Amino acid sequence: MIGEKPMNDTTPAIQIENLTYAYGHTEAVRGLSLTVPRGRCYGLFGRNGAGKTTTMKCLLNLLRPHSGSIQVFGMNPAKQEVAVKSRLAYVPDQVAFYPWMTVRETLDYLASFRERWNRTIEQDLLNRFGLDPAQKAGGLSKGQKTQVALIAAVCPETDLLVLDEPTSGLDPIVRREFIETVIGAYQETGSGERTVFVSTHLIAEFEGLIDQFTIIDGGKAVLTLDSDAARERYTRIRARFANAVPEAELAGALRVRKDGRELEIVANGGAAQLLEKVRQYEPEFISTEALRLEEIFVATLKA
Amino acid sequence: MIFQVNYSSGKPIYLQLVDQVKAAAASGALRTGDPLPSIRPLAEELRVNRNTIAKAYSELESLGIIETQPGRGSFLRENHAALKKDVRRKLLTEEIDQAIVQAHHLQVPRNEFLTLVEERFDALEQKRRAREEK
Repeated sequence: MIGEKPMNDTTPAIQIENLTYAYGHTEAVRGLSLTVPRGRCYGLFGRNGAGKTTTMKCLLNLLRPHSGSIQVFGMNPAKQEVAVKSRLAYVPDQVAFYPWMTVRETLDYLASFRERWNRTIEQDLLNRFGLDPAQKAGGLSKGQKTQVALIAAVCPETDLLVLDEPTSGLDPIVRREFIETVIGAYQETGSGERTVFVSTHLIAEFEGLIDQFTIIDGGKAVLTLDSDAARERYTRIRARFANAVPEAELAGALRVRKDGRELEIVANGGAAQLLEKVRQYEPEFISTEALRLEEIFVATLKA
Repeated sequence: MIFQVNYSSGKPIYLQLVDQVKAAAASGALRTGDPLPSIRPLAEELRVNRNTIAKAYSELESLGIIETQPGRGSFLRENHAALKKDVRRKLLTEEIDQAIVQAHHLQVPRNEFLTLVEERFDALEQKRRAREEK
């Protein structure tokens, strides 16, 4: 394929090992490690201040790690900055353009830094978002600025797309279109080889896109899982009894809630054994369901 | 065909799509030669990773349920029952086990469950006959 550089297929898109970074005495990232395999959509989930943006900035060589290492397609972003930047595109949480440039001029300016630029996709997306190429960037709404930034990130057809809180502060329609564009226009171009690395705390709307994730808290990875495996592992069991909830020993439950005759258990693995145990008390009704990624996020950070 | 994704089912997303096509084929909602949605629009509509849809389709292809014609799309195959007997039995066993577990939860006893199965067979057969007469 044009522009594809020879490389080992198994080289991860991103490899972060023991990354640390501090602002003065405040440690933002404290020994973070994660690996993003090629072709995956990888989520970095965390609360505000968990260290997501700092990690992203280290990845883009906007900040220098204090210790640990980052590799993008096997390259060091600080030492091989140009080579790394030619392989990735980035949509930041705060989009800024030169206000005096029009949308057309902004895109041309950004295209001038790129080896390739897909004009067909550019036109499709301008139409889809209803953007006026003659409009000055200074007059664009926050949503429109993000849309222009997304067009500029999709058109170079890079192997890696990095998104930092891309949809926070946008209205639901723009958020929806944003994700559809990443799935459609971006993923379409790479025949399964496009990698997406997205940091967000708006987990629900990315649920279908993310196939692997790391939950980061206090600058450390607290949970890394495959999305399907996570939903299989985290289970909510609900039961109702004829009389009060029995005093059962529910070892292994992540969380137990009782109210009158009702019992709710959140299990992190071992749901089958817990289910069996609950059944021994002969509930009137019992049901199970998987936790969604956002619920897993909350359960992990509140546990 | 309209797909639905349920993140609370605990079943991998691609498998949910595979099962929905199987169910549609078995019930006649999807007939031989009927096209399946193309990968990109379906991925956008469900807001599901494109690779997940591609994985579901390639699974359906390897099961012989659909065929993909380059440039034309994917279609339900004529002889989609060409699954090996033990594979078919295995697929069905999993579904039956789930239904039995559910029956247990809802305290529907064995006899009642089996009667219900008979009733459903009759009901679906009647539906199919009614459709064929049209």
